[in-house]
Amino acid sequence: MNKSKGLKMMVCLVLLLSLLAACSKGNDASSNPPAAPTNNQGGEPAQQTEKEVKLTFFNTSAEVNEVFEKLFQTYHELHPNVTVELIPTPIGGAQIEKFQSLLASGNPATIANLDAGTILQYKDSFLDLESEKAKYEELTKPGAVDGALLDGKFLGIPWTAQGYGLLYNKRAVEEAIGGAFDPASIKTRNDLEALFEKIEAAGKAPVMIHGADWSLGSHYLGLAYSLQSANVDDNRKFMESLQTGEVKLIDNPQFNGLLDTFDLLKKYNARKGDPLVADYNKDSADFAKGDAAFYFMGDWTWAIVGPLEGRDQEFGVIPVPISNNPDDYGNSQIAYSEPKLFAIDNAGSTPEQQEAAKAFIEWMVTSDQGQEAIISQMGLSMPYKDVKVKGSNIISEAVSQYVDQGKVMNIGVINYLPQDYWAKTGAAMQKYLVDKVDRKGLADEVQEYWEYQGKK
Amino acid sequence: MKKKNVLSNAGTFLLFGGPSIFAFAAVVVIPFLVGLYLTFTNWDVRTGNSDLIGLANYYEVFSDKVFLGQLWFTLKYVFFTVFIANGAAFFIALALTSGAKGEQWLRTGFFTPNLIGGIVLGYLWQTLFSQVLPYLGNKYGWSLFSTSWLTDTITAFWALVIATAWQLIGYLMIIYIAGFSGVPGDVLEAASIDGANRSAVIRKIILPLSIPATVICIFISISRSFLTYDINLALTKGGPFNSTELATYHIVQKAFLSNQYGIGQAEAVVLFAVVAIIALTQSYLLKKLEVES
Repeated sequence: MNKSKGLKMMVCLVLLLSLLAACSKGNDASSNPPAAPTNNQGGEPAQQTEKEVKLTFFNTSAEVNEVFEKLFQTYHELHPNVTVELIPTPIGGAQIEKFQSLLASGNPATIANLDAGTILQYKDSFLDLESEKAKYEELTKPGAVDGALLDGKFLGIPWTAQGYGLLYNKRAVEEAIGGAFDPASIKTRNDLEALFEKIEAAGKAPVMIHGADWSLGSHYLGLAYSLQSANVDDNRKFMESLQTGEVKLIDNPQFNGLLDTFDLLKKYNARKGDPLVADYNKDSADFAKGDAAFYFMGDWTWAIVGPLEGRDQEFGVIPVPISNNPDDYGNSQIAYSEPKLFAIDNAGSTPEQQEAAKAFIEWMVTSDQGQEAIISQMGLSMPYKDVKVKGSNIISEAVSQYVDQGKVMNIGVINYLPQDYWAKTGAAMQKYLVDKVDRKGLADEVQEYWEYQGKK
Repeated sequence: MKKKNVLSNAGTFLLFGGPSIFAFAAVVVIPFLVGLYLTFTNWDVRTGNSDLIGLANYYEVFSDKVFLGQLWFTLKYVFFTVFIANGAAFFIALALTSGAKGEQWLRTGFFTPNLIGGIVLGYLWQTLFSQVLPYLGNKYGWSLFSTSWLTDTITAFWALVIATAWQLIGYLMIIYIAGFSGVPGDVLEAASIDGANRSAVIRKIILPLSIPATVICIFISISRSFLTYDINLALTKGGPFNSTELATYHIVQKAFLSNQYGIGQAEAVVLFAVVAIIALTQSYLLKKLEVES
């Protein structure tokens, strides 16, 4: 009896240990050998017969893995000596963790398609592309290269651009106001309020707020940091003084203006009954079918809206007005950024690989095949001058009109923010959205987060 | 001669025990020790820094009100999950050992949720809570379901408890059934001859005689629900506004989103200590209740 008791205890202990070790293992990237299929990094001399180059491509735009793979295939057919292999990541999954473990094990991918902020964090591992800068300034639209600079260095090549603001469904708005809608007529918060009143009077929901933390924390509240000045360096200084506590958000006119507009959106929110449900597919689809006239979102939502059956045909975008003075910065500018950049590794790649990588990236953004893949198949817009392919994304066409007129807000400051800011401040915004905290409570919570970052 | 015996014994032991000891060391013991070491460093994969900083990470953990709050939240969650899952599993097991028709099918049915992965199960319940129930609630005017359960801090907690318990019940039920089948028939027969009613039989005979099964069930449900991560991720993602972040979820966020590996790992060690103390104490205490028929 006694013996079996001891045995049971042992079994219990072993069970407990194994369960817990399973938990601790996940936090410990170093003891976790990467399972990535990059097993031939220069190990085989046969591969290095002068011309044969093998590149690996780490992709965080996981939803378009297959398009990239086809593109690599095409390139290999054109340049048989270059093979590009995709290292895929799961959608919304452990992307950065995988990147970290590849890097930590001395086995980084030659090319990485990463968020600009991630490249900045690992800036010492990437190749400085200063020599390429002039060429890309020629190729891209004005401001595109500047927007991609990280700490003044050209580390990643921009290939896609996104804009966001208040999207509108043209049919829904025009039916409600009984006439043609001119987006340029909305210059101030009062203009917007008058329009919302009309739409509501016509029995339609004026606006949809998507209640997810990324939308509220990064896209909406994130505007407050970019609205301080048109100059990214000034915005960075503002963030620094926020972290030292010199600046208080609650006294900041841009922050308050932005939240006054948020109060307005809240009042006319189509999801007023249950604002935090945040079903991205449903919100986008309802907007596309005209159940809400406006929608705070960006052109990327075309991935949902585009293939939808029974949707409306015409959409546009206006900036989020933050005051009643039409000349204030932000009232006529669309938030615009280059969220993903192609960076070339400088931690474990040979010079041959790096040269081949440069040539390959240039081919992707300038060739017909590359542009066809990025614009028509991925449904993205490219910040390049000479784009021959016409996209089907109506919302990004609308954003492009602002870009061509130079009416864009550089939101580059978000690249310098810590990785978790959107989740933490997004949670505070969610509380504000459901009236769990007031303006002061929200400002305090966000301020507290930034001051904690300053102390780290 | 004796020495030779010892050697050959050791050889035999290594032959059979070696592979599992190796596997256990490679995936449990060594990662655990490395993890423990990491809690004393400020390791950061971005800079490659790894300096010993003593107990600073633990100081940070115990002064982090958010983590302590989430640990308390986790304790509440574990308490209700264990209570509901075991209660339900006990009575389902009881009902399914009474010899009714189709018992086997019902057992399979109750066990099935346990075969579904936590992520899939989480998304399943998410659809149920955020779309199906509100739809029905609005159609028939049930105020309880008029909004999604996942957008309110209190109901989201219960949603999490229900989903986890639902998954656990089938597994625990099987163990209880095994425990009940160990109750000798002659004792039950004697009880019925003595005129004991059903509830007396359950309280006085079945319950005390199936204590070993209960100990295992409570142990498993405690350790499993303390380490819930996948359901948390798929069902609520810690929302609304981080109010339903379980300890494990918080640890992963801390390490990989906020890039504070040392602190995240230290939190994991604290969680380990809490789980170990609670789980071992309960099995020690409950074991004292064991009786033999």
